[in-house]
Amino acid sequence: MTQRDPVCGMEIDLQSALAKREHMGQTFYFCSQSCVDQFDKDPHRYVMTSATTGFNPEQTLSRIELPVADLPMVRPATKLEAGLLSLNGVDRVTVNAGAGLVQLDYDPQKINLVGLAGAIRSAGYTVDGAQTRIGIENLRCASCVNFIEDELKSTPGVLNATVNIATQEASVDYLPQNTTLADLNKAIETWGYKPRPALSDAPIDKQEEAHAREYSRLMKMFWFAAIISVPVLLFAYPQYVPLIRDLSMETIRWSWVLSAIVTLPVLFYSGYDFFTGAWAAFKHRSANMNTLIALGTGAAWLYSTFAVAFPAVFPEGTSEPFYDVVAVVIALVVLGQALELRAKGQSSSAIKKLLGLQAKTARVIRDSKEMDIPVEEVLVGDVIQVRPGEKIPVDGIIVEGSSAVDESMLTGESLPASKKMGDEVIGATINKTGAFKFRTTKVGKDTALAQIVKMVQDAQNSKAPIARLADTVSGYFVPIVMILAVWTFVIWFVIGPQPQLVYALVTSVTVLIIACPCALGLATPMSLMVGIGKGAENGILIRSGEALQTARAIQTVVLDKTGTITKGKPELTDVLISDQPIVKDDELLRLASSVEKVSEHPLAQAIVEGAQARKLELAEVQDFDAIPGHGVSAKVEGRSILIGNLKLMNRENIALGSLEEKSKSLADDGKTPMFIALDGKAAGIIAVADTVKEDSAEAIKALQSMGIEVVMITGDNRRTAEAIARRVGVTRVLAEVLPEDKANNIQLLQAEGKKVAMVGDGINDAPALAQADVGLAIGTGTDVAIEASDITLIKGSLKGVVTAIEVSRATMTNIYQNLVGAFFYNVLGVPVAMGLLFPFFGLLLSPLIAGAAMAFSSVTVVGNANRLRGFKPKFSVK
Amino acid sequence: MNTPQIFVILSGIVLTILIAWYFWFAPKAQTRVAMSASGAQEVAITVKGGYTPDVIVVQKGRPVRLTFTRQESSACSETVLFPDFNQSAKLPEGEQVNVEFTPDKPGEYGFQCQMGMLRGKLIVE
Repeated sequence: MTQRDPVCGMEIDLQSALAKREHMGQTFYFCSQSCVDQFDKDPHRYVMTSATTGFNPEQTLSRIELPVADLPMVRPATKLEAGLLSLNGVDRVTVNAGAGLVQLDYDPQKINLVGLAGAIRSAGYTVDGAQTRIGIENLRCASCVNFIEDELKSTPGVLNATVNIATQEASVDYLPQNTTLADLNKAIETWGYKPRPALSDAPIDKQEEAHAREYSRLMKMFWFAAIISVPVLLFAYPQYVPLIRDLSMETIRWSWVLSAIVTLPVLFYSGYDFFTGAWAAFKHRSANMNTLIALGTGAAWLYSTFAVAFPAVFPEGTSEPFYDVVAVVIALVVLGQALELRAKGQSSSAIKKLLGLQAKTARVIRDSKEMDIPVEEVLVGDVIQVRPGEKIPVDGIIVEGSSAVDESMLTGESLPASKKMGDEVIGATINKTGAFKFRTTKVGKDTALAQIVKMVQDAQNSKAPIARLADTVSGYFVPIVMILAVWTFVIWFVIGPQPQLVYALVTSVTVLIIACPCALGLATPMSLMVGIGKGAENGILIRSGEALQTARAIQTVVLDKTGTITKGKPELTDVLISDQPIVKDDELLRLASSVEKVSEHPLAQAIVEGAQARKLELAEVQDFDAIPGHGVSAKVEGRSILIGNLKLMNRENIALGSLEEKSKSLADDGKTPMFIALDGKAAGIIAVADTVKEDSAEAIKALQSMGIEVVMITGDNRRTAEAIARRVGVTRVLAEVLPEDKANNIQLLQAEGKKVAMVGDGINDAPALAQADVGLAIGTGTDVAIEASDITLIKGSLKGVVTAIEVSRATMTNIYQNLVGAFFYNVLGVPVAMGLLFPFFGLLLSPLIAGAAMAFSSVTVVGNANRLRGFKPKFSVK
Repeated sequence: MNTPQIFVILSGIVLTILIAWYFWFAPKAQTRVAMSASGAQEVAITVKGGYTPDVIVVQKGRPVRLTFTRQESSACSETVLFPDFNQSAKLPEGEQVNVEFTPDKPGEYGFQCQMGMLRGKLIVE
């Protein structure tokens, strides 16, 4: 009996088949291993094309794996499974929560991907597809919208598609595994339309566009109000203006009627936002800046119109209108908003810089073909080719080749990092010298860059505790101002000079207009945004406004020794030969490292690397023997060699002479010495140690000069710890601290009444980092380091601690300036507007001055925050 | 003291009481959020001069999905902040933006625009 091999199609005898497989009720036979392998990769494919005879009920089924976000790990996703199975056409559902996948067998005749994705959505989960927007040129007819939508939805791999005729854009959710942008474009072209790139996908660009639109809208509103203000202003004070002064009272009255008419569009066009905003707030039983402006200008217009229409009702001299207040105040406040918007755009430049780092395309190798695709379509597991000078598009691990990579944009580290096979590369960094291929591990929103951007954005929008005070104040502020305005009116009306009504109205309107809580509200967020952005530019990720505020007041910095002050990796430091030299020091090192090459001891690695650094050729080793607790013995080039501690030398009765003394002094320096004996005679000492990072001492000195106490904490013995401490200039050492006691020690320092910062290199220091007032993790911008700490120093250097504190101090100073400025403005402005100075100096603010002052108070605050952008850290990274 | 003066003083007192009552003491309307089929508490919030609804009552321990739609171009309201949850979202005009988190502890949590001019409250029970 024979059957066809489903892969290659060869007729084979069932008896002589190499292998067989059962799949979906069918049995398959194979001629060769490669056919089996190919079948195993995707057995489902062969069910449908199988040449077996007979009825196969599952013949039309397709299988698809959908990545689904937030699948529950513990509880089974019964609702999801039941929901999918209840669909007509779905045959089997397997949920793999660990991999985040839902595998489906379904009948494409009965249901498509869009329906499946819809069912998953209605079960409360989301299919983790890519999303893209495609512009469609000259999309005019509404009915074509449906055609294009249906065409896109029936394209394999598309989860959902909507076409918006207003924006002339299609927005498509799709699985990049199953379709590409080109397929989507083709679907649009089938209906005779030309796809074009969507206007902009980057959220920051979109925001910029929106800002630009809003700016021009505000400026239009400003110019309208400003142009009308001029004649209104001239006719408001006829006695001061030549020519107008000479007009008859009758003419001037008519000009006021005209003023009433032309200021109406100012109110309802230029002042549109104030009135709608005030009304919306009023409905919510709250009041804000819009309320004050709307009340002030509205009251001024109503009074003026009343005075012009029924002059007889008013006492002598009070029937003069002040339409000028309406037009000028609105013009100024709108101008202030426009300027504020423009200044705001500058403060978010840090994020723009970060996003600008992202590569646009990636050269992916699929099916052994190189192709350039948009970076959004790169999948985890893709292999990407990077040539010298190119940007690395996403995160991954090098699988072929090596190079030097400039990571300065993320870490601030100016020297390129050398990368070889198995090393991690980070998206947005620049490949310098060599070409390599890497396998992607993180794409899209998971890349280190995307995480950093997200984190910086969140931090910029977080709050410093100091802002809460300003918040509470501004929550009560507006109603209080309204009450103050009421009483200003009452008091001026009752005890003020003649004309009482005019004075009462002008002063209360001035109070309403000058008391804008904007400056107060803007004071902290603007500075925080610039300050946190400034940190990010210097490789310092500050997680929240709270961390930034606390970092300023740090009095004690606790540094973990290993990995923070030191490199965290032993290095060869000394090679000493005995007083009666048997061999030269290079030779001693060569022989020793030849032996250590075979050893698995961690210190051995340091010796071998030390020898490689000196370009020594290592020799063959025989009779290698590890003596536990003592050292090793071996034969190299016919000489017997012993490497180990004092115990080993004593056991072998080797006279050490002065070497013993030298070894003690090495140990005092925190190094680990190893004796070496050749042919039974002491030949020398090799010492390794965890070496101090080049710039640790400098950074510690800078901290101390800022008035900060520096403490070292370590689990190491006191002697080693103190040796390192001496070298970097730290006087207070907490040695022999068990890892679990690190947090306690921080607490003890805090009990001394100090604000303590802890600097550690990641996960093992996490409890101490959490206990400290501010935890600074030295990390590479990876998730764990970011999660565990308040501040992450992407660059490994301790100088980042100095810069972090500097950024914090500069930002907080800026915030205090803003708050004091805003506070003084309101505290002084409101009483002056109420006329408190009038009895003494006859000083009264005009509503016009109040309008100008309020417009520029917020501009000043934003401007002051922007001054921070000029901040330069002591240790400049570039 | 003449009649208009007395009238103005009395009006001043009445207005003061009205303002204080309206903005501080009157109870605010609360919106209780219904549970959707998937167990998430979903609510749509319109941003236009304020948040509608602005006082939202949710249950603790269940995911909350707030869908914001900003229907104005004023730059003031372009960001919504949840300082207590360390969450923030940019709200492009006319687009639906989801903010999702799970409140664990009962209490009152404010949300607001960046400047704090628009405010809302999330009450977790």
